[in-house]
Amino acid sequence: MEFVQNFPFMSIILSLFAGPVSTVLNGKWAKRLNLFVITAVGCMSAAVLAFELRTKQEYVYMMGHFPAPWGNEIRVGILEAAMALFFCIIMLLCVISGVLEREREIEEGKQNLYYVMVNLLLCSLLALIYTNDLFTAYVFVEINTISACGLIMIRQTGRTIEAATRYMIMSLLGSGLLLLGICFLYGLTGHLLMSNIKEQVAVLQASGEYHIPLLVAICLMSVGIAIKSALYPFHTWLPDAYGYSTLSSAAILSSLVSKGYIFLLIKIFYRVIGFDIIRDSKVINVLFVFGIAGMIMGSLSAIKENDIRRMIAYSSVAQIGYIYMGFGLGTTFGIIASIYHIVSHAATKSLLFVAASGLTDASGKNKLFAELTGSGYRNKLAGVAFTVGSLSMVGFPMFSGFISKLLFAQAAMENQHKMLITLIALAISTILNAVYFMKTVIRIYTPEKREVIQEKGFDDIAFWEQPVKSAALVCFIVLNVFLGLSSEPVIHLIQIGLSMFA
Amino acid sequence: MNAYFMVIAVLLPMLGGVLIPLLPFRKRNTMLVYIEFLVLVTSLLVFGLILNRPEEAFVLFRFTGQLSISFKLDSVGSVFATIVAFLWPFATLYSFEYMKHEGHEKTFFMFYILTYGVTLGIAMAEDLVTLYFFYEMLTMVTLPLILHTLTREAVLASRTYMYYSLGGAAFAFIGLIFILTYGTTPDFTPGGVIDMAKLGGRMNLLLCIYVLCFCGFSVKAAMCPFSAWLPKAGVAPTPVTALLHAVAVVKAGAFATLRVTYFSFGTELLRGTWAQHLLMILIIFTIVFGCSRALKETHLKRRLAWSTVSNLSYILFGVILMTPLGLYGALSHMVCHALMKICSFFCAGAIIYKSGRTYIHQLNGFGRKMPKVCSIFAISGMALMGVPGLCGFVSKWNLAKGAVESGNPLAYAGLAAILISALLTAIYMMSIVVRAFFPGKDFDYSTIGDVEDPNWMMLLPLTVFVILMFAIGLHPQFLTDALTNVVAAVF
Amino acid sequence: MEKHIVNYWILLPILLSGMTGIGLLLSSLRGHIRNKEENVAEKSMADKSLFRLHLLVGIVLVISVVLALLAAWSGERSLTLFYLMDEIPVYFHVDAVGRLFLTITSIVWVTVAFYAFVYMKHEGDEKRFFGFFLLLYSVLVSLDFAGNLITFYFFYELMTLTSMPLVLHSGTKEAIMAALKYLFYSMLGAYCALFGIYFLYQNCDSLTFTAGGTLNAGLTASNSGILLLAVFVMLIGFGAKAGMFPLHAWLSTAHPVAPAPASAALSSIIVKSGVLALIRSVFYIVGPEFIRGTWVQNVWIFLALLTVFMGSMLAYREKVFKKRLAYSTVSQVSYILFGLSLLEPTAMAGSLLHVVFHALIKCSLFMTAGIFIFRTGKTRVDAYDGIGRQMPVTLWCYTFASLALIGIPPTSGFVSKWYLAQGALQSDTGVFRILGPVVLLVSALLTAGYLLPITIKGFLPGKECRVETQKETMDKMVISLLVLAVLAVLLGVLPNPLIQYVGEIAESVM
Repeated sequence: MEFVQNFPFMSIILSLFAGPVSTVLNGKWAKRLNLFVITAVGCMSAAVLAFELRTKQEYVYMMGHFPAPWGNEIRVGILEAAMALFFCIIMLLCVISGVLEREREIEEGKQNLYYVMVNLLLCSLLALIYTNDLFTAYVFVEINTISACGLIMIRQTGRTIEAATRYMIMSLLGSGLLLLGICFLYGLTGHLLMSNIKEQVAVLQASGEYHIPLLVAICLMSVGIAIKSALYPFHTWLPDAYGYSTLSSAAILSSLVSKGYIFLLIKIFYRVIGFDIIRDSKVINVLFVFGIAGMIMGSLSAIKENDIRRMIAYSSVAQIGYIYMGFGLGTTFGIIASIYHIVSHAATKSLLFVAASGLTDASGKNKLFAELTGSGYRNKLAGVAFTVGSLSMVGFPMFSGFISKLLFAQAAMENQHKMLITLIALAISTILNAVYFMKTVIRIYTPEKREVIQEKGFDDIAFWEQPVKSAALVCFIVLNVFLGLSSEPVIHLIQIGLSMFA
Repeated sequence: MNAYFMVIAVLLPMLGGVLIPLLPFRKRNTMLVYIEFLVLVTSLLVFGLILNRPEEAFVLFRFTGQLSISFKLDSVGSVFATIVAFLWPFATLYSFEYMKHEGHEKTFFMFYILTYGVTLGIAMAEDLVTLYFFYEMLTMVTLPLILHTLTREAVLASRTYMYYSLGGAAFAFIGLIFILTYGTTPDFTPGGVIDMAKLGGRMNLLLCIYVLCFCGFSVKAAMCPFSAWLPKAGVAPTPVTALLHAVAVVKAGAFATLRVTYFSFGTELLRGTWAQHLLMILIIFTIVFGCSRALKETHLKRRLAWSTVSNLSYILFGVILMTPLGLYGALSHMVCHALMKICSFFCAGAIIYKSGRTYIHQLNGFGRKMPKVCSIFAISGMALMGVPGLCGFVSKWNLAKGAVESGNPLAYAGLAAILISALLTAIYMMSIVVRAFFPGKDFDYSTIGDVEDPNWMMLLPLTVFVILMFAIGLHPQFLTDALTNVVAAVF
Repeated sequence: MEKHIVNYWILLPILLSGMTGIGLLLSSLRGHIRNKEENVAEKSMADKSLFRLHLLVGIVLVISVVLALLAAWSGERSLTLFYLMDEIPVYFHVDAVGRLFLTITSIVWVTVAFYAFVYMKHEGDEKRFFGFFLLLYSVLVSLDFAGNLITFYFFYELMTLTSMPLVLHSGTKEAIMAALKYLFYSMLGAYCALFGIYFLYQNCDSLTFTAGGTLNAGLTASNSGILLLAVFVMLIGFGAKAGMFPLHAWLSTAHPVAPAPASAALSSIIVKSGVLALIRSVFYIVGPEFIRGTWVQNVWIFLALLTVFMGSMLAYREKVFKKRLAYSTVSQVSYILFGLSLLEPTAMAGSLLHVVFHALIKCSLFMTAGIFIFRTGKTRVDAYDGIGRQMPVTLWCYTFASLALIGIPPTSGFVSKWYLAQGALQSDTGVFRILGPVVLLVSALLTAGYLLPITIKGFLPGKECRVETQKETMDKMVISLLVLAVLAVLLGVLPNPLIQYVGEIAESVM
């Protein structure tokens, strides 16, 4: 076994221990440690990815060398490594871009707690990506939930506490359902390791026994994860949670946390149950319907919104709808499109959150639309970044959103029954996206009268004033354009990764 | 000529446009010379390309395996390119004078020139992907032009424009995907690229998608019910309304529908189907609807914009006939309408520039104060009406020839609609002309005492357009011969 | 080569009067611009320059007329100018019908110009008027000489556009509205006609005027239904200019507001170009055979008769003199259309005769109205009591013209109506054989009813009406009126050459 194969395990452990260690550090050092951990994990994931690309062979890493069914396993393939790397990049950018806000909004004594949460979150995300054990997955789902709650709550305003409570209740409901599903499966198959369950499920399926309980298990797990990842109509917790928490929390939550759950769902589809069985059960049709409903309703809610952060949050509801719609198509190509959309949405949504904060900074920290008039001139970089993000969301060629839209549409062409409805839903959703995003873009480029600016004391923000945030924004833009212009290698990566999965 | 030149023609105005705000111009005149030079060079390059068409395509960039940005100048594309390349230098010259009173010239000219490049991109697109790409770009680069005055009205108009255009593109996108999946190639091929074996006889699906795609592209061509943005967009400075909202942008929409109909889906499959009939009904309705709205409108530029709505549907009508003669009619109306409408818009712009008046009832007696502009306006009005001897008659004739020859009862109805619309055109154009020249017996000319004809920068384009309108009207051979060759290359 | 050059003669009258007209218009516009400081829209011209203008117009017009008549009556000629459409040239061809229309146009134009020299003094802005007047003459000459349907349509539209300014000459709100209405109806008509032309282009061998039609039998067999519809729409369209129901309403609005010379020209000539259009399209393109016995013919006859009757009734009820005459035109022109619609040689001969006679008569009637208005300023018929004592010559001319219009032998109107009635009886058109002549008779009675009371009241105003008698001035207006009135009567006495001429035309196309 090569040394590099230990990296996944090491990265989980590293981030797990970084959490408790941070509690004894002060805010500044906790931040440094956290940044180091994320960078280190990112590097390790890159090394793993390189290794995987070289060997083109997935491997199982047994914890403590106990073989199944007693031991706990990690399973690493191209897709896992790539996701881990990508999550690290996004998280790093989110964390560094929100430094100013954090220092402003969080009490001095609680700064280090924030990094505890971030570390734990990273740990749980990595575990969700790598684990080959359903129960381990469940455990880290819970850790994930708790740390996410902490990220929301850390700002300690009435709004955030309420939001966190809501999030907590909904999430626990979701994890409860997930747990029930896992129990059912355990009862049916007698295993918790994914590969073992899959073998047993195939046997059950062939014999035709326990058809209904199996279906129930699938349903429970899908619905549980759907609730946790804010699929319409379980999205009510989301706008508050994203809208009022501190900047980096919102960015991390929207781009990573829900995506981690979705990745778990993909794993359940492929590794636990088997995609053919999933396709034959009608669960995906339900996901499809709710996905499309989410695409439309999320956007409609966003149009009505008056607060830029909440608008972007509602847009997430719509985008998650896209992803579930991709599942609902029931084709491998649909899944590829969904995974690509996870990537592109993560890149775009965090960009939008950061850019929006840049704009509100230039407008007296006010998030209402009316105050944002002309902010694109006051903070030029944020204006450009927001425009790029919006165009990407609308599916403008050259940006990542276009490619994911293209992939979804191409996937839809393979499914004869759902083709037309998917295509039309895509088009309508594009229009709705255009309505609220481009409305905002036009507003930030409509100049405000000079007197008003002086009266309200808005100030210009130059590129060098917030160097870290600016750098993060530039990185986000580059990432977005890269995903839009040379999507071929990324898609290829997802393709071979997914083929290893099955 | 070498295929590289196509890329240069597209990129030169785009790069040159972006440079405008960056270059340190000491004097306004230096900037103007730079801009006009840029436009002229590009136009000359385009004419060179058209006269000397490169055979091979040029792939600029590849998104993924199938998706690429590639250029090829074929016969139909060169018709559109000719229109654009011919009109742009004149319109630029005109806007030098006009933009004096609008301000923010650098931004304006940057986007104005950028649009030139993007429009050429549409004309020279080799495949549907490229076309779609530039089509979306066009929305983006023209948005700031509508927003230019930054009044509340302009903001609302640009929003509407945005929603309609992006929405249209979203539906056009469906067509793009369909062609990528069920077509043998995304490249434009005369007669269509649909792979029937792959499609497996699901004709209705094809027709559904075609209708969606056509509607999507026709948003830019302001087909009813997607026409509301065009009159609103009239708040933009007149060079924009004249060149973009009467020629470049809207014709790009018509051109795109032409591309998908004749080069992607293929007329053989579509002719005589319910899709053709449905779209034709919409188009016929638009032809009449646009004119009736124009009649009701009291704002000069908005009236012309509604007239554009109607006239664009003439082109779409030619397209949807799906016969060689239909294509021929569509192309000739594309050329003729470009001339007529830009001319009447420029006249309207000159009136606004010189007097600041925008409503029709304020134009009493202008015929004596601005005789040149008003006479030219009258001529362009007659051309729009289809008075023989002017180019409007020629294009109507060609469209009618196509409609009658197609033997489709709906086409006959369309022909009737065109004539009804011509009648309405007569009313709404001539009522302006009569008002300007015959203000009534006791009209007090001192109320418009300081109004006069504009200077040569505005009059030169107008004169050239009038001469061309007469030239095409009286001696259409050079146009018809060229178009006959174009059509022959398609069928 | 020799012949080639001779053919270009056709262009001479057209260019001469056209160019002069345009020149006058430009100079008028320049005059207005130069006078902008004084802010006077219509500056009355000095007598001397006015005389110069009249001299110029007179000379140009006479030369053009002579040239045009020379071109017309010196044998068949044709001239292809340039190609307007793919296979369709701008093509002039002089034939019998064109010759007839050209001659009558020329006569009317010279007399009306002569009349207008005096009349236009009280309307003002003479340069513009004569500019359009000359321009219109050149368009009409081209129209009469047009050798194919496209050329014809080209000049037909131009005619509308150049005659419109004559209607709105006075520049009052009423006149402008009337002009727009005129434009609207004309354009509606023209576009209806264009609809037909589009179909004919597809289904005809060529659009060159050929006696008996050029319809391609092979093509029409398959789609005769739509083609009939197209022809019908075209009939309605061209009928608009000729005041045929349902597009007749413009006449009664446009004619009264125009200056009297303009309404005389409109009523006698412009309206006739609608007739010419119908003759050209039905007998020279479609061919009478195609529509004979079809619903198109029946509806056409019906519409013509309806218009005849309706026009007379409206005229009878109308009190404004010029309006009454306009309605009379509606009615009388539909006599012509009725004759054409029968598709029968005798009736067609009658129609062509009526074209000539009605042009002369209606022109003189409108001239009378103009003189009345010019001298008294009154427009309603009940104000003309006793006018015969002031202007006996004018009223006598009016009376003779009226008698001719009613159709009392031996005046001209009788001859044409006789042929019309005879043609109707000879035709095989079912109920219209009898109904037609009956309607014509009734309408003639009504005509007498609305024209003659003016004579009667004018000469015999009754005892209580006191009119100061004054000497009538014999100026250019009265002279032109006299010439036309005498012609109208004389042609009725000596109609034979004309009858023979139109008879040949009618035979050639059936």
